[in-house]
Amino acid sequence: MLPEGDGDAARTSDADNPERNTDSMSQPASQPESAYGAEQIKVLEGLEAVRKRPAMYIGSTSLDGVHHLVYEVVDNSVDEAMAGFGSQIDITVHIDNSITVSDQGRGIPTGMHPTEGRPAAEVVLTTLHAGGKFENDAYKVSGGLHGVGISVVNALSEWLEVEIRQHGQVFQQKYKRGAPQNELTVVGKTDRTGTTVTYRADPEIFPEIDHSFDVLAKRMRELAFLNKGLTIQVADERTERTEAFCYEGGIVSFVEHLNENKKPFHTPAYLERTTDKIVVEVAFQFNEGYSENLFSFANNINTREGGTHLAGFKASLTRSVNAYATANNLLKGVKENISGDDIREGLTAVVSVKVPQPQFEGQTKTKLGNSEVKGAVESAVNEYLNEYFEENPQVARRVVDKAVSAARAREAARKAKDLIRRKSALESSSLPGKLADCAERDPEHSEVYLVEGDSAGGSAKQGRDRRNQAILPLKGKILNVEKARFDKMISSEEIRCLITALGTGVGEEFDAAKARYHKIIIMTDADVDGAHIRTLLLTFFYRQMPDLIERGFVYIAQPPLFKVKKGSKETYLKDERALSAHLLDLIVSDVAVNMDKTGPANGVRLKNVIDKLQMFENLVDHWERRGIHPAVMRAATQVGELTRGVLRDAEKQAAFMDKLGAHLSEFFPEMNAEVASEPDPEHESQRIVVNFRKDGVPRRAVLDEALVATAEFRQTREHAPRKLGMEGPSFTVTFKEQAHTFTTSRQMLDFILECAKKGLNIQRYKGLGEMNPEQLWETTMNPEVRSLLQVDIGDMIKADNIFTVLMGDQVEPRRAFIEKHAKDVRNLDV
Amino acid sequence: MRVTCPICRQDATWENNQYRPFCSARCRTADLGAWATESYRITGQDSPGEGQEADSGAGNAADQADL
Repeated sequence: MLPEGDGDAARTSDADNPERNTDSMSQPASQPESAYGAEQIKVLEGLEAVRKRPAMYIGSTSLDGVHHLVYEVVDNSVDEAMAGFGSQIDITVHIDNSITVSDQGRGIPTGMHPTEGRPAAEVVLTTLHAGGKFENDAYKVSGGLHGVGISVVNALSEWLEVEIRQHGQVFQQKYKRGAPQNELTVVGKTDRTGTTVTYRADPEIFPEIDHSFDVLAKRMRELAFLNKGLTIQVADERTERTEAFCYEGGIVSFVEHLNENKKPFHTPAYLERTTDKIVVEVAFQFNEGYSENLFSFANNINTREGGTHLAGFKASLTRSVNAYATANNLLKGVKENISGDDIREGLTAVVSVKVPQPQFEGQTKTKLGNSEVKGAVESAVNEYLNEYFEENPQVARRVVDKAVSAARAREAARKAKDLIRRKSALESSSLPGKLADCAERDPEHSEVYLVEGDSAGGSAKQGRDRRNQAILPLKGKILNVEKARFDKMISSEEIRCLITALGTGVGEEFDAAKARYHKIIIMTDADVDGAHIRTLLLTFFYRQMPDLIERGFVYIAQPPLFKVKKGSKETYLKDERALSAHLLDLIVSDVAVNMDKTGPANGVRLKNVIDKLQMFENLVDHWERRGIHPAVMRAATQVGELTRGVLRDAEKQAAFMDKLGAHLSEFFPEMNAEVASEPDPEHESQRIVVNFRKDGVPRRAVLDEALVATAEFRQTREHAPRKLGMEGPSFTVTFKEQAHTFTTSRQMLDFILECAKKGLNIQRYKGLGEMNPEQLWETTMNPEVRSLLQVDIGDMIKADNIFTVLMGDQVEPRRAFIEKHAKDVRNLDV
Repeated sequence: MRVTCPICRQDATWENNQYRPFCSARCRTADLGAWATESYRITGQDSPGEGQEADSGAGNAADQADL
């Protein structure tokens, strides 16, 4: 596309010093019309080519192309400013979408061009790639940098006016679609310098020329970052919006701007080096995040596709960080070096180079190709980083730590992907072989039992209702970690089966709407292994498929713990409590308990009495855990009403103590109990102290106001046998017309339960496998009778803390935690 | 609702968090990776032979004892 002779002109032009050039041609061009000869026609043909195929020069004729025109003009001004002439550039978008770009540089040379026979400014505006003609150290016309030049803008403008202030004069020239409409003419005098270009993008070329202020402002901000100290102002006459950009910090400010909403952990690092006329500038700052944010520029052009400068920076960063980590022994546990990707997690960096002869490659011509740049950047960054890491060891350490954890995360992600991929490779869309699916296809009416163990899985398969119940047997894996330790886990194969059977996918692909069952029922043995498998499964659901729990799809089956057989009648009971309730139901009509005030009780009334006594016994246990001997609590609630009033009244207290002492020595002589009174100055009362022996060791139990005032003690008092009308001191039960007498209500209750067990066959299930298919169906799987525990997200959140500890490698904190939270753990596994 | 990210132990929100209960896609992936590599284990008892049949008593008590 170059007009012939252009290259020659560039080579022959003695343009070392444009000042001198222009000096020697200070007269404005004033040639007659006829001077526009063959040369001029050739030039216009060149611009005609631009108009024919505009996309070749500016990428496209969309709005991007329209904005590109602005950048071309601005780039010239920026270069002039960077050469040290003028510090402000003004851009105005006028109401008709014409654009004015004004700078304070030296002005485009107005003198006569030595070979073209026209003013240099006109050559620049009408010749493609004219920048080459002025190539030298003093006036690096940037037209070539974007690959086109201001002549392209001229060619694609409906009209263009240039006004140049130079040597005390103001020059003007007008163009229409690239063709000069008049000669470069002096129109006045001035003491300023600079170039002002006003143009309107040609609507014949561009279907739309409505400039976007935001797009322009963004690029101008970028240019201001890249050119420290330069002020660029964008004014929009259409909206009267104006924004000015100026950054004294240059690309350091750029990095700070990019990291604005992130959490950087050091101040930005900055280096600038010039090697062989290549200017290298780098600013970087690491933040706590995980994304990599790299910007590279060559001669102010955003090299979106990267190139040699970026490659040099990356290579050097990777090498320097690895060298530092190795030298300081920070790579423990990492097999190979840390990769560049890992190091650059959380890195924000701007790499900017200025190269005399840039080569742009790639699809959008935004990839720097100069091979010499890589080495220049690499050595500059290397040298800088070695020093920087030595001087900032805490930053270096943080960077290494972050990279190491990134490397681990990447490895985990790879394994996770593997898990999903292998599933699809091996089984494609088909379901796992061991899944016994149901006939029903509507997820809403389908359920799947996740059954621990093969034998139980077999029973479940036989016992289920195959119309809508599917069975997936899962096996826990037991690992012999050390000689004496067995860890439990779920193999990745089992996890894969689970995911496939549920149909939801996992991770990014997870979709609860694809769940094949709306009831996912975990059914495990009522033993330790079962509890562990259940814990693992619940944790997996909570963490990877919380949506299923939120939708209420996840349940826990409650297989019975006991089977009670009386004659041919079998009853299944889910836990201890249900068992004793059942036993009482069976016996209450056959025994009678003597209630001193109201005579013997049996049947429904007895059941009521026993319920209350059981509550009392639970409370006695509660006190025992708090150091009060059961006998003391029994006696203290049986001999009378122990209240604060008793403790504050010497007379009442003495009477109570007498009865207490007498009761203890009569019914619990082995205790050698002695009852005494001690002052309790804090409550202005006396406390009762019982000194006794337990297994020969002296002990004491204190009954003071603090204890008497508790809700637990009041409850104990209210549920004591004497309150039920059993004044004691002993308890009598009649069974099969024979009377049995006991010292404590506990002994009496135990006796009653023993009576109930006579003639019964009580079987405790340790595993699901002990039940045959029919039993499993009847007790646990039959929707008519089973009870399912729906898993609730609230419980899971509390529980996950426990899981975390349970799954840790560290045994000690785990123990301590479990001791502290024993109760929670218990609830978790109910 | 605030929860603790199971991986990095930082605070995470529950609502409008597609990665719940994790703080980020990264932590969720790390967790999935741990399942894939069989890194999650419930540590068994220290003495051999007890782990399997420790539940000679009541069911709940047995669970508690082992955990």
